[in-house]
Amino acid sequence: MAERQSPLGAFFVPGDHGNAAAGVGVTLRERKNLSIVQVTAWIDTIPAVLTAIGSATGLVLQNKPGLGRVAGEKSVFGFAPGRYFVVGATPDLELRLRSAISSDLGTMIDLTHGRTVIRIGGPGSEWVLSKLFAIDFSEHAFPIAYGRATLHHDIHANIQRIDDETFDIYVFRTFARSFWQTLGHAAAEVGYRVE
Amino acid sequence: MTGSRLSRGGRIDRSKSVRFSFDGKAYGGHQGDTLASALLANGITLFGRSFKYHRPRGVFAAGSDEPNALVTVMSGDVREPNMRATELEIYDGLVALSQNRFPSLEHDFMAANQLAGPLFSAGFYYKTFMGPAIGPFKNTAFWMFCEKFIRRAAGLGKAGTAPDPDRYERMNAFCDVLVVGSGPAGLIAAEAAATTGARVIIAEERPIAGGSLLASGELIDGRNPAVWAREKAAGLADLPNVRFLTRTSVWGYYDGNVLTAVERVSDFKPNRTKGQPRQRHWIIRAGKTILATGAFERPIVFPGNDCPGVMLADAVRRYATEYGVAAGNNVTLFTNNDSAYDAARALSLAGVNIAAIVDVRADVSGACRDIASVAGAELLLGHAVTGTHAGKALSSITVQHFNAGTGRVSGAPREIRTDCLGVSGGWSPAIHLASQAGGKPEWDEDLQAFLPPEPNQNWVTTGSAAGYMDTISVLSDAATKGSAKSRLVLPQVEAPMLDASPAPVFEIEPSVKSQKAFVDFQHDVTADDIRLAYREGFHSVEHLKRYTTLGMATDQGKTSNVPGLAIMADVRGISIPEAGTTRFRPPFTPVSLGVLAGERYGDLRPHRLTPMHDWHLANGAKTYEAGLWHRPMIYGSHGETVEQAYIREARAVRQSVGIVDVSTLGKIDIQGPDAAELLDRVYTNMFSTLPVGKARYGLMLREDGIAFDDGTTWRLGETQFLMTTTTANAGTVMQHLEYYLDCIWPDLRVHLTSVTDVWAGSAVSGPNARAVLEACVTGTKVDNMTLPFMGIVHGKIEGIPIMICRLSFSGELAYEVYCGAGFGTRVWEALLAAGKPFDIMPYGLEALGTLRIEKGHVTGAEIDGRTTAHDLHLDWMLSKKKPYIGSAMINREGLKDENRLTLVGLISMDNQSITGGSHIVTDPVPREPADSFGHVTAACYSPALGKYIALALVKHGTSMIGNRAFATDLLRDKHCAVEIVSHHMFDPEGSRMHG
Amino acid sequence: MIIKCPYCGPRDVIEFIYQGDATRKRPEPASTDQAAWNAYVYDRTNTGGSHREFWLHGGGCRQHLVVTRDMSSHAISSVALARDVAASINDGGRA
Repeated sequence: MAERQSPLGAFFVPGDHGNAAAGVGVTLRERKNLSIVQVTAWIDTIPAVLTAIGSATGLVLQNKPGLGRVAGEKSVFGFAPGRYFVVGATPDLELRLRSAISSDLGTMIDLTHGRTVIRIGGPGSEWVLSKLFAIDFSEHAFPIAYGRATLHHDIHANIQRIDDETFDIYVFRTFARSFWQTLGHAAAEVGYRVE
Repeated sequence: MTGSRLSRGGRIDRSKSVRFSFDGKAYGGHQGDTLASALLANGITLFGRSFKYHRPRGVFAAGSDEPNALVTVMSGDVREPNMRATELEIYDGLVALSQNRFPSLEHDFMAANQLAGPLFSAGFYYKTFMGPAIGPFKNTAFWMFCEKFIRRAAGLGKAGTAPDPDRYERMNAFCDVLVVGSGPAGLIAAEAAATTGARVIIAEERPIAGGSLLASGELIDGRNPAVWAREKAAGLADLPNVRFLTRTSVWGYYDGNVLTAVERVSDFKPNRTKGQPRQRHWIIRAGKTILATGAFERPIVFPGNDCPGVMLADAVRRYATEYGVAAGNNVTLFTNNDSAYDAARALSLAGVNIAAIVDVRADVSGACRDIASVAGAELLLGHAVTGTHAGKALSSITVQHFNAGTGRVSGAPREIRTDCLGVSGGWSPAIHLASQAGGKPEWDEDLQAFLPPEPNQNWVTTGSAAGYMDTISVLSDAATKGSAKSRLVLPQVEAPMLDASPAPVFEIEPSVKSQKAFVDFQHDVTADDIRLAYREGFHSVEHLKRYTTLGMATDQGKTSNVPGLAIMADVRGISIPEAGTTRFRPPFTPVSLGVLAGERYGDLRPHRLTPMHDWHLANGAKTYEAGLWHRPMIYGSHGETVEQAYIREARAVRQSVGIVDVSTLGKIDIQGPDAAELLDRVYTNMFSTLPVGKARYGLMLREDGIAFDDGTTWRLGETQFLMTTTTANAGTVMQHLEYYLDCIWPDLRVHLTSVTDVWAGSAVSGPNARAVLEACVTGTKVDNMTLPFMGIVHGKIEGIPIMICRLSFSGELAYEVYCGAGFGTRVWEALLAAGKPFDIMPYGLEALGTLRIEKGHVTGAEIDGRTTAHDLHLDWMLSKKKPYIGSAMINREGLKDENRLTLVGLISMDNQSITGGSHIVTDPVPREPADSFGHVTAACYSPALGKYIALALVKHGTSMIGNRAFATDLLRDKHCAVEIVSHHMFDPEGSRMHG
Repeated sequence: MIIKCPYCGPRDVIEFIYQGDATRKRPEPASTDQAAWNAYVYDRTNTGGSHREFWLHGGGCRQHLVVTRDMSSHAISSVALARDVAASINDGGRA
């Protein structure tokens, strides 16, 4: 099947930008070829759904707000009561989840085409993201692997912390290009590399 | 006044000179100078003209409390008015202009306004701009003409019109403790908090830390206090849990301990690095806030107190100690408290000559006498300044005997030659942020000042902001306020023993007045204006403030607030706390609009783009904004007008086939065992009976029975539906459903997800639509049996999975083809290729609108928040078998009224175009549509009918069909004869879409 | 203003959408009591002091919250998921 088209189009320009002469503060890239499945448990089936996600993906979670796991390309995180993003590079992700999660446990919807994932990494990432989102990016408030749902003006975003200085930002596809430009603008001060 | 640079002293870098210009003339200064200090050093006395009277004004203060020395900073064509010269750091190439003068600062015609004094007195806005109520000029053009001049005469700097090229940013910050101010209190409080491991942010308005220590003559641990402060600040800034922000003014205190601040990131730099913002707007969410904002010295009000050369005593001291500038060759001080003696000591140490100290008190302490004697200053106790002599600079003052007990002036006037008078009327804690946070400030009799109110949020005040006026008690208070757990060892302070309590003297009012005595310099409010306001019945401080505009200028009354209240209390014969004080409002200091816009400057909203957006642009689409979306309006061919283009596009759809991007339709995934039940409750019609694989048109109402949204909802599985909404309402429909699930029916097992972005949608419409699909779709048939009207099938195009629903908005045989958004362009192009033999025509919103107007289909223009299902002829969709949202209220009398506007069609009788928004009238003469009985909601040229047509909402619409009327639009100069017809103007039987 | 979302934690007010009075009671769907519907749709008290209101955390977890807020000081005394509140009221009604 054909490769999915990136919404960033001609606005994705690899190379160094902004004040990169003084060093690269952050690196931006688009994570492509991911499958993104949203799983939502019924209010009384959350533990069972977490077990099912664990058996389907190997990523075991406890029932705690915002908790997540990251293992290589695979990740999972919660961002609303009983609601999780399950993400992986395998195209059969939805099928595997569907076989593990019956409709009496919860529902799922494949959002692969509907979200664009931008990874921001580097020493300046907390600083740059704090320009755009009104949430606390410090590691004690936003630990590794945790997820958050927030927004920048009209642009909703789900954010997962990958490591101390790396975040994955999930934005609605139709806003992705606008967000990418805003992100580049915010990153110009610290210098950024697109790869 | 003739200021000059002292040979030593100050924290300016004398090795670095800076060149700048003021009113076109070049000057030099040093790195570390403000515009005020550099101009004073150059002997400049005149900084601007006053607001109403255009009186000459000099610099008055040394910080953010400056009322007079406001300048406009130019960079190219971009002007930034009302910048305080006392805070503006000079840099090479700075261009500053004085304000409110015409034609020049030295020669100002408007100074004649002084002669028209009564015209500009208290309440002048209300009296003046109302115009004379009686007399020859009542409501005259002459008065209107005068008003323009008056408006021009009264003012500060001119706003610019050139676009601001600078970059601004927003920064969200979180901390356990925010410390506002980094004087002795702020530094120690921050240190105490930081040692407990708390995350601390320190915000300092000035370029360096230290506050009052920068100009203090005290010793801390035996060292220069400015050096002690610098090292303490550097030590704090190095801590991993501390962020030290200089040049950062905290300007607002909001609910939930949210504070806003502006950091001047590069204002003071001649050049900025790539991507560096000029200013950064900090929004700080603090666990606890420590307000160490210091105190403002306030003046004493006396006649002639506004001439250049009269300054705050502390400002005179700060120019000498911080900038190495003598504000005058021969300084006098006028005070009601001891702090002026501390200033005298510092001035004499800095090498500034002090002629005399005028003190309203009959006696002062030995320490004060010693200081005066060491400084060689004549000490005039029981005296007051009762006048000044000045042109553009002070030359002498008049002093007389004064009784601080009675407030009476007596004895022969004596003239003292001086070119700079430093005034101290005591100190007012800077309670602005605490006052913004809420609560009523409390009067302190000892300090003759308002202290901060009881905290109503998690904040404390410390240092002089809390009323501690000596460094020793400031430090011990700050350590406790910083953290109760703190075990800081406080430094030793060596300071002269001075008393912080002033004599309660706010105004010197000689019996014979020859000069105006100003209270609010920036708004030109005099002591007599306050008394006039009282006589005219404005007694409450809130009325006083608004009537006289006292304290309403950009300085927010930092120097004028307490003296103004004291004068009002005096005329009312009550105490100051009885008179009360107004609540301070944000911003503490002026904030530029650019920094509030932040990163959204010049691009207010994000753009929302469909997956095929680039294709549209590459193929000649002219787009326009529909909400946040950017959608093709038409695909223009060379030399075509918009009307020609949409007519061509719409005609192609009716004649053969067209394709339009419908990806913007709101799409909501609805899943769960109760999904059908939810839909039955929110739609007026039944959805639980809809078979899997079929779609149905649905209508939603609001609770009050008014139509809310419409769209088709598709049953994809027994427990899964895909709801489509209008593009504009996607968000509100989602909220509507979420509201009912969360708040009203939590027992329903239904999950909602917005999937608008998941799908790319292409609608293929026209008699040849099926042939186009047959040419490219695999995996399913699309014939009438397999895919009937409102049917859904799954298949592939070029191997890409697709879902097709046979729907029609155009009234033609039509299909909506959906695929994953990432494949949107591929599928779109494949459909175009398949349609090539049929000359498939991509069409934009204009043609889409034309096709739907011909058919009489409603959109947001008709579902406008006022219309009912009945008004729109959609009553057939109202189920009688079940309750639904709005069902209980649709039968109310007003919603059944025969006079309601109902949907009709209009056909132009005279081949003129009809414009949207036109009124429907019977009057053949175009004039004000007083008898309007309806309005046009949408209009176009109909290629199918060969006429200009429109949809309209018209009173008694249905019974009006067949009548003639006029669509009148005076704004666009249109008056068009129309026939009222059924809204189904084309193919009313719907035979084409069912074909 | 900061609202402490029970799921997301403290968040800025920009993430929330005000959704109205949380003290009103919707009549039974089939009810034809016009006075009751009128009260539900239109009648609002202008309460001083403590008041319950719905806020949608639209910029976060998309849950409706019941926020108890002082109308004079804006101090928020409690925040709960609307589903939990509605469920407990419904349970109470049955009990």
